[in-house]
Amino acid sequence: MEEKRKLDIKQFLQEHVNDIASYGGLLFCIIVFTIVPPIFGESIWSQAKLANIISNVIVTALLSVGAVFVYSLGNMDISIGAQIRVYAMLIVLLGNTTGSLLPGILISLVIAVVIAIVNGGAGQVLKVHPIIPSLVFMMILQGVSSIAYAKIGSRNITLRSVDFSAFKSTGLMVAVLIVETIVVSYLFYYTKYGKSARAIGANGVAAEQSGINLLKFKVISYVIMGVMVVVAAIFQMGYTGSASDSTGTGFEMNVMIALILGGMPLSGGMRSKVSCAVIGSFTYSILAVGLPLIGVPTNMTFLVKSVIFIVVVLFTCRKENGVLPR
Amino acid sequence: MKAKLFKRVLAMTAATVLSVATLVGCGSASESASGEAASNVTATDGGTILWMSNLSSGAQYDAMVAYGTKLCEQMGYNLKIVYGDGFNDPDGNLTAVKNGMTSDVKGILVSQDGGIQAIMDEYPDIPVAAFNTDMNSVFSEDANIASNAAVKDYPNFLGTIADGHIDGADTAKQNFEFVKEQGYDKIGVVTFPGYAYPNLQVAADTMVSLCDEAGVEIVGGVVTLEFQPLDESYFQEAGRDDLDCIVALCAGTTFVYPTMVQAKADGLCSADTKLVTSGFDNDPSLIADIGEEGTIGYLTISPCENIGYGLTLLDKAIKGEMYDDFVCERIDSAEYVIDSKEDIDNVMSKSVLANNDYNDAQISYEDLQACASFADLQALFHSEQIMVDALK
Repeated sequence: MEEKRKLDIKQFLQEHVNDIASYGGLLFCIIVFTIVPPIFGESIWSQAKLANIISNVIVTALLSVGAVFVYSLGNMDISIGAQIRVYAMLIVLLGNTTGSLLPGILISLVIAVVIAIVNGGAGQVLKVHPIIPSLVFMMILQGVSSIAYAKIGSRNITLRSVDFSAFKSTGLMVAVLIVETIVVSYLFYYTKYGKSARAIGANGVAAEQSGINLLKFKVISYVIMGVMVVVAAIFQMGYTGSASDSTGTGFEMNVMIALILGGMPLSGGMRSKVSCAVIGSFTYSILAVGLPLIGVPTNMTFLVKSVIFIVVVLFTCRKENGVLPR
Repeated sequence: MKAKLFKRVLAMTAATVLSVATLVGCGSASESASGEAASNVTATDGGTILWMSNLSSGAQYDAMVAYGTKLCEQMGYNLKIVYGDGFNDPDGNLTAVKNGMTSDVKGILVSQDGGIQAIMDEYPDIPVAAFNTDMNSVFSEDANIASNAAVKDYPNFLGTIADGHIDGADTAKQNFEFVKEQGYDKIGVVTFPGYAYPNLQVAADTMVSLCDEAGVEIVGGVVTLEFQPLDESYFQEAGRDDLDCIVALCAGTTFVYPTMVQAKADGLCSADTKLVTSGFDNDPSLIADIGEEGTIGYLTISPCENIGYGLTLLDKAIKGEMYDDFVCERIDSAEYVIDSKEDIDNVMSKSVLANNDYNDAQISYEDLQACASFADLQALFHSEQIMVDALK
């Protein structure tokens, strides 16, 4: 009986090592940053720092949650950062022109859906690696924003006639993140879209032979992410009410780091979870906010974050002799 | 099983490295008085001044940290450094300040203007001064550029001391004076894009008109570098193999000098072509190549003491002792003008910029305290005391 219980525990640990590492990582950070900062006369639970964590986490979390569908396919989209840059620019420019954020948001949504259809469909139709079309869009969008800012004559633009203070509200950020997580979770776990995406990620050939339309479900996955990218772009723009020629730089990497920290398998499949996005984003942001509070110099925080990243990757790696999470 | 054990051991090793690195990082903070680290220094009861730097390494950065830290200590503060966004992105700068903010921060020193309004809106009670930046987004009269114009009227904004001239036309005039003195009549002009550095656009335009008036030829027109070093093919264009000089309005020591040296070695550029530029790098081979006989014939450098201007204004604001005649404005920085071997030798042997030694500072805490008015403070930074000749 005792032996059976030990075996059960061992089996549970083996099956949930990803969850333990990702949740454990977040829990570890929360405990450390709860205990240590008071020694330095600081608190991560102060209203200002909590608001800072939320404003740090919001864009990465919105993007990561939106990207769960695409990552569950075993794909990734590296045009996310450039998309954010262009959408933020459009929202500010059209906001200043029309006095409303709506036109910019609607146009961004249209562009996002078009890009998603091409990104999701090109890989399947042209039989190229799905990262290639997103690479092309990344370059196109970078070129567009570069030309636009050169024409404007400035590296950043600011909303002048529209009140954007609502987007700085911590309450709104939390509410939108919760709503997005619930919507994506519902689609991911309780509809054929999520189930098909995971099935394609687990084994595309088997999924196709089971009657799943790969093209359709890949495109839908990218469209879901595209819509979430626009939502994230609104909050990115709303953070300072501005956009610049470097807005969104490196966001695709932030998303990847957050998902890996959260325990998402990069190859996609049935082990993909929405919670990975939320857990990973919060872990990443708590590190960014917490490390300076315990006296770690800013130039050291990158090193500390990278070591934590390596620790999580090594704990969650399931492939024999592999390094990256499978 | 072995592989799994190996991974766990690796993970534990990495965790150990993390702990040690963190401890070493925190421990090294006590070394920052010597300019080797960047964080809290000694326990001072005046609180902390948070500096959002535009640099994170290099000789100028090290000197500014060493001098600024010591100055802060004498004022009764710790100097804590965060790094602004590499592209001066408003969101990135705001995040950098917010992440570095602690309850003991009494003042903010910024070296980038992106997001300055958002930063001040976030911390309306904390005074903010700037240095090493022209704060164009605040002070420019061009509405397209002045995205943070409202900040000028914020009572807690204390203005800025630029890195060089606030007016690009003055930069051009200064460089052109040297060109004229040397009798050059065939030059190159290199700059950064105007949308990123509007002042450099003004400088380039002024340079063109001054050269036109004086009959000096800018061979091939002004070349704009998109933040990439000058390409060696520049010297293969007609007439550029025997220029008298290249006026690099951008950071020429980084973006033009290495290419020039290579082009000279490859026989693409005349051995007599000089570089007229700004910036500082303590690379011995570059230092040895400055002066009458060297490639760099004329070099302007902003001394690290400029940080003292912003720190003094913050100190006055924090202690409620602001000068009666204070007005929020931007001023030119102090400047070393180096056009001889003797000048650069003096800088390298006697300045805090090269030695990171506060005892070599040309503006001390006592000098700053002796300023009875804002006009005195400004005059101090434009006085002969902080010029290169004072190092003789």
